[in-house]
Amino acid sequence: MDAPSETAPQPARDGAAAARAIPPAHPSRRRLGRLSVGVRQHASARLQGAVLAGGLLTGLACAAAILVAAGIGPADLVQEFVVAIVTSPESAAAVLVQGAPLAIVGLAAALAFRVRFWNIGIEGQMIAGAIAATVVALHDIGPPALRLPLMLAAAALGGSAWILGPVLLRLRIGLNEIISTLLLNYVAFNALLHLLYGPWRDPENNFPNSQLYEPSEQLAELGWQNLTWALPLAGVLLLGGWWLLSISRFGFLTRIAEANPRMGEAQGLPMTRVILAATLASGALAGIAGFMICAGAEHRLTQSFASGYGFSGILIAFLARNSAPGVLAVALFVGTLFVAGQSLQVFYQIPASAVQLLQAVIVLCVAASDFFIRHRLRWLR
Amino acid sequence: MLRRLVPLCLVAGLGSGLTGVLGADPAGAAPFKLDGPPKVAMVLFGPKNDGGWGQAFEEGRVRTEKALGIQIPVVDNIKESSSAIRPAVELFIKRGYNVIIGTAFGYSDTFKELAQKYPKVAFLNGSGTTNGANLESFYGRTYEPHYLCGMAAGAVSKEGKLGFVAANPFGVVNWTVNAYELGAKQTKPQATTTVVFTGAWNDPVKERAAAEALVGQGIDVIGQHVDTPTPQIVAQEKGIHGTGHHRDMSEFAPKATLCSLVWFWDRYLIPTIQKIGAGTWEPSPYGAFLSIKDGGPDIACCGPAVPKAVADQIQTERQAIIDGKKVYAGPLTDRDGKERVPAGGVLSDADLWKMDWFVPGVISQK
Repeated sequence: MDAPSETAPQPARDGAAAARAIPPAHPSRRRLGRLSVGVRQHASARLQGAVLAGGLLTGLACAAAILVAAGIGPADLVQEFVVAIVTSPESAAAVLVQGAPLAIVGLAAALAFRVRFWNIGIEGQMIAGAIAATVVALHDIGPPALRLPLMLAAAALGGSAWILGPVLLRLRIGLNEIISTLLLNYVAFNALLHLLYGPWRDPENNFPNSQLYEPSEQLAELGWQNLTWALPLAGVLLLGGWWLLSISRFGFLTRIAEANPRMGEAQGLPMTRVILAATLASGALAGIAGFMICAGAEHRLTQSFASGYGFSGILIAFLARNSAPGVLAVALFVGTLFVAGQSLQVFYQIPASAVQLLQAVIVLCVAASDFFIRHRLRWLR
Repeated sequence: MLRRLVPLCLVAGLGSGLTGVLGADPAGAAPFKLDGPPKVAMVLFGPKNDGGWGQAFEEGRVRTEKALGIQIPVVDNIKESSSAIRPAVELFIKRGYNVIIGTAFGYSDTFKELAQKYPKVAFLNGSGTTNGANLESFYGRTYEPHYLCGMAAGAVSKEGKLGFVAANPFGVVNWTVNAYELGAKQTKPQATTTVVFTGAWNDPVKERAAAEALVGQGIDVIGQHVDTPTPQIVAQEKGIHGTGHHRDMSEFAPKATLCSLVWFWDRYLIPTIQKIGAGTWEPSPYGAFLSIKDGGPDIACCGPAVPKAVADQIQTERQAIIDGKKVYAGPLTDRDGKERVPAGGVLSDADLWKMDWFVPGVISQK
C-alpha cells in the first residue's frame, strides 16, 4: 500500500511545473470564459421567490423522474400530487392536521435561531410541555371549563422550564447549547418512559400510555373533517410570531442579537434579556406543540408523540429563514410532502424509505437554491 | 410580549368548547356485514423488512394473499400517531378497501375512532387494545412458545444461567420472561433468568450492550423479547446460544439459535377474512388472544445444539399445551413469596395483562 501512495503525487507535481513553464496554457478554455461566484448583497423579493420556485421545481422534477423510472405513469403522478391533494377534503385536512404542529415547532426553532441560540432540544421541550399539561389533566386541576387553558399554560411553562437551564448556562458560562439542549432530549424522553411505565400507566389496560384525557381536556373538533381547535391555535401563534419577529421592537432587537450581540451590548441594548426572552418563548412554543398533539390528536400522553418533530422544526425554520410567514408556507409544504408520500405508499406500494428519499431530494433542492439567492454567478470572458 | 400572546391563546383554548370526541359504543348485536367482497389492506408500524415484528406481518400477508387469491396492499413505517395513521387508512377506505389490518398497540385509539366513523369497514389490529362492533384487536399468548423455548435454553445451558434481553417491563413482556424461566426449570431445576430491559422495542445498540453485559456475567443462553435479532447475533459472536422472538432467528444466527417464537398471522387472518366475507364475523369484545392451537405464535425448534431427547420433550409439551395445559397454573408464588395462583387455579387473562411480578429465579433490575 505504501509504494503507490508515494509515487502517485509525482506526475501531478510534474504537471504543475509544466503549467508554470508555459504561461498561455489553455486557449480553448479562455474562449469559453469562466464562472465567477460573488456574494450578493441584496436580493429582491421577486428574485428570491423565483429562485425558490426554481429549486422546488427542480426537486419535484428529480422526484418525478425517479418515480417514472420506478414505473409510475406521469399522469398518475399529477393525479396523486396535485389533484388528489387539492380536490380531496380528506387530504387537504390531513395536510392541515399535519401542518399545525409542524408550524409551531418551526416557529419555536425560528425564534431561538433568530438570536443565534441553536435549540436542538425541541423534542425534549415538547415532552416537558406535554408532561406538564398531563399533570393538569390527570389531577383535574382547576374547573373543567378552564382545564384546557390551564393545560396550555402548563405546557408553555413546562417547555420554557426545559430550555431555561441551557440558556442560563450559555449566558453565564458559555456552555454550548447544542450539546445541552440535545442531551436534555434524552433526559425528557426517559422521564416520559418512566412515567408511562410507572405511575401514569393506563389503569384500564395496563399499557404504557396515560389514561385518556376527559372530554373537557381534549381540543374539540371544528366540525369539518377531523380538524380540531389545534389549527386556529396554530394560526393565532403564527400571527403572534409574525408580529413579534417582523413588527415589534423586540423583533428588531433579535436582528441585532443575530448579527452582533456584543455591538448591541455596547450600544446599551438589553441583549441578554432579548436572548433569554426569545429562547424561553421558543421553549414555550415547543411545549405548546406537545400539548397540541396530545390534547388535539392523541387524547392522551403517548410514548412517541414527539418523535421526529425536533428535526422537522429545525428544517422548517432553516428553509423559512426564521420568518413566521415562511414557517407557515414551509410547514404546509412539508405536510403536503408527507401526505402525498403516504398516498404514493398506499397506491403504488412504494416503500417508506423510497418516499423519504424523494422528500429528501425535494428538500435538498429547495435548500440548495438558497445559494443562488446569497451568491451572484457570472460568466467572465 | 409573551405575556400579551398568552391571553390570545387562552381565548382560543376556551372557545374550543367542551364537547366530547368519542361517542358511545353502538351496541353491535347483529353480525357485521360488508357491502361487497372483502378488499383487504395492511398498515405496518415499522419497515416491512425489519427482521422481526413487521416482517412477520409481511410474511403473513403474502401467505394470506396466496391462500385467499387476493391482493393485499401494504403501507409501511406508519408511526403510532393518529396524524400518521388516519390519512393512510382513510386513503385506503376512500378507494374501496373495507378490511383494514393494523399492526401496533399505538393504533388502538385511532382504530377505535375510525371504526366508529366507518361502520361498514372491518378493522383488525395486531397487539391493539380496543374492540368494537367492527373492530377486533388480536395478539398471541406469547408465553406459550417462550415456555417451550425456555425448556430448550435450560437443557443446553451448562449451569442454568440464562440471560434475557427485554424491551419494557409490563404485562406483555413480563409474562414471556416468567414463562421462559418456568420452561427452563422443566429441564434444569436450578435455572435462573437474568433480565435486562432496554426501554425500547427496536434499539440494536442498547440490545447489543445489554446482551454483552449479560455474557460478561457468565450466562450461556440468551433469550429475547425485543424486535431486532441483535441478541442472537451477539450469542453467535460469543459462541454461546440463544432463543429468538418474532421469527426464526436461525436465519441470523444459525449456530447459536436453539428455538424461536414465530408468528403465523395468516393462521388468524385467513379464517377471519373469510368470516368477514361470509358475514359471520363476530368480533370478540375482549379481542382475540390466540393460543398455539388458535393460530397464535408457535415455535421453530430446535437448533442443532438441542439434544434429540429434549427436542422430543418440547414437542410433547407443545402438544400438551395444544390439548389444554396451562403455563400459568397454580400453585404459583412470585419471587417475594407471595401466592399468585392457588393450587388448582389458573391465572386469568386480566391478571396476565396486569402481570407486574416475577417468578422465583428471575433476576432483574428493580
